[in-house]
Amino acid sequence: MKDTNGKTSKDVLIACGEGKRNFEIVNPLDEIVKIKGKKVDIKIFEDPDGFSYLIYKNHKYQVDILEKNQNKYTIMVNGVWYYFSIETPISFKRRKYLSKSVNSSKIVKITAPMPGKILDILVEENSDVKQGEAVIILEAMKMQNEILAQISGKVKKVNIKTNDSVMKDDILIEIERS
Amino acid sequence: MKINSLLIANRGEIAIRVIQTAKLMGIETWVIKTSKEPNALYLGAADKIIDFSDHSEEIPEFLDIEKIIKAVKSNKIDAIHPGYGFLAESPVFAKRCEEEKIIFIGPSPEAILKMGNKTIAKQLAREHKVPLLEGSLGNVADASEAIKIANKIGYPVILKAASGGGGRGMRIVENEHELEKLFKMASSEAAKAFNDPSMFVEKYVRNPRHIEFQIFGDKHGNMIHLGERECSVQRKHQKLIEESPSAALDPDLREKMGKAAINIAKSVNYYSAGTVEFLLDSDKKFYFMEMNTRIQVEHPVTEKVTGLDLIELQIRVAQGEELPLKQKDVKIEGWAFEFRINAEDVQAGFSPSLGVIEKMSLPKSKNIRIDSGIQEGAVITPYYDSMIAKLIVYGESREKAIQYSAIALKKLWIKGLKTTIPFCKAVLNNSNFKKGIYDTSFLVKEMKIHYFEDKDAEMLAAYFATYDFARTLKEEEGKTVDFEKGKNMNPWILNKRLKSL
Repeated sequence: MKDTNGKTSKDVLIACGEGKRNFEIVNPLDEIVKIKGKKVDIKIFEDPDGFSYLIYKNHKYQVDILEKNQNKYTIMVNGVWYYFSIETPISFKRRKYLSKSVNSSKIVKITAPMPGKILDILVEENSDVKQGEAVIILEAMKMQNEILAQISGKVKKVNIKTNDSVMKDDILIEIERS
Repeated sequence: MKINSLLIANRGEIAIRVIQTAKLMGIETWVIKTSKEPNALYLGAADKIIDFSDHSEEIPEFLDIEKIIKAVKSNKIDAIHPGYGFLAESPVFAKRCEEEKIIFIGPSPEAILKMGNKTIAKQLAREHKVPLLEGSLGNVADASEAIKIANKIGYPVILKAASGGGGRGMRIVENEHELEKLFKMASSEAAKAFNDPSMFVEKYVRNPRHIEFQIFGDKHGNMIHLGERECSVQRKHQKLIEESPSAALDPDLREKMGKAAINIAKSVNYYSAGTVEFLLDSDKKFYFMEMNTRIQVEHPVTEKVTGLDLIELQIRVAQGEELPLKQKDVKIEGWAFEFRINAEDVQAGFSPSLGVIEKMSLPKSKNIRIDSGIQEGAVITPYYDSMIAKLIVYGESREKAIQYSAIALKKLWIKGLKTTIPFCKAVLNNSNFKKGIYDTSFLVKEMKIHYFEDKDAEMLAAYFATYDFARTLKEEEGKTVDFEKGKNMNPWILNKRLKSL
């Protein structure tokens, strides 16, 4: 599947995982790639049933692209998922620079982790919340789920009413970091 | 009366499970089709389908008692098997079946009513000298009464819905301060789920093991137990892995608990399959919790170690037959595990992972049984629970069963969404679980990470993402023209390329 046509210079890409877990990968389309400076031999193949596998050190790993949006990937390996954004050395530098220069936003948006119905709203606008405090009860899949505040602060906005149906990733509440 | 035709008033894997046995017994099987899953696997398994696709009532199809009764009458169907959930533990439904002379495959309406009400169930246990936990002698009127009782018996206490089950309408309270809020939540949850907001309070045993006994009765007064199941691997009272027998019981304790279970069942003249749940504390003292008056999700582990078909027994008992075996004939051999493969994201607090099952590859072996109501292409919807399949693995001993389970889980591949498979693997890798030393606090206390991760998996994932990214870039640049690849090409790129021709 890999081809090496016209490859003279080296292609470098960086897979940036969560929490600065970065993998620098040289010539990802080549037979032998370099990951974090080490040569590794990984084979990719698909079986007739439509599963994709990686073979590495004589072990077989089921692999799947769960989500893909431009350079953002969620990859599953043997059922465990990993999130990466793929950067070129230039975009990687810019990313590093940006994360240093911009203060993390003061407003944190709490979004619905799954589609469901709002059963109860436990806070109001301008009320103070503590990190880990339940702010909303969302009913989904026959269960009541507590949605917790990720940060301590003041509730700036409540975008929903009791009994509203919400979709995944809808913004429910906005909290200003204190 | 011999049953010739049977409606399974349920969906998914349990509908298929009942159909399998009914067919072996020469019974014609009927199921209900709904607009929520018009292509579900269970529809293809049945002989006949009743179409509820035009259903427009507020009440869901499988809960619409009168509509189901009417359909059964007009199609001259002899019996109804309710499966689990939905109407399985509705005394009203069982009563309506009785009135309409439809055979309900389950216990009597009276038994369902009494055991379904935890307050009555506890009174019965008390009368029959089965140990149970202290608490309110019935429902409490409000949060302030609950606080009074809690202060008397001491924290932690547990608030439970009188009609509850499956972890809904249930909250553990650590101190007086949080009782009122949690009472409100549990009660509203119960009102919604069971149409009954009444709550009771009892002492909460920290870190008990969840041990339940499968009992079986017939309409002639015979009652046996088929040993226990341990369901201590739970998250928020939702069972995730079950086994039979339990590593915590010895033959003496098994006999004692089995007798207690039988006594409770006899107190309501129980017949059909039932499950008596106990908590077992670290001193091996057991306490009656509740009785479930239905076939359980985890019944296959009992079938594996007893060699019995519980659905067949249910149907025979419903026909009025005597149980074909006595207590002394019940032999428990080997060990069985059940793993619930759910569409849940174990890396994000077990939140539901909705989506399409793109591909599924199931392990096959004589030690493995898979009960599933799902085929490739099926959509996991928010309408129903998130179960994809139950993986049941048998071994001659607990060690063997664990070993076979690990192999089976490695060969179980599901593509398209996140599942609990990595969680099951992580449990099997835990040294205390392997030794059989665990209780209901296992998930919180013993498992720092709720999923099993292969050593090089992250690096391989990084590689695969990068590979795909590089390949996509290259394709878009149009440097390669590969006609073979065209069949997998994304339409956007294909369109672009066609334009440039």
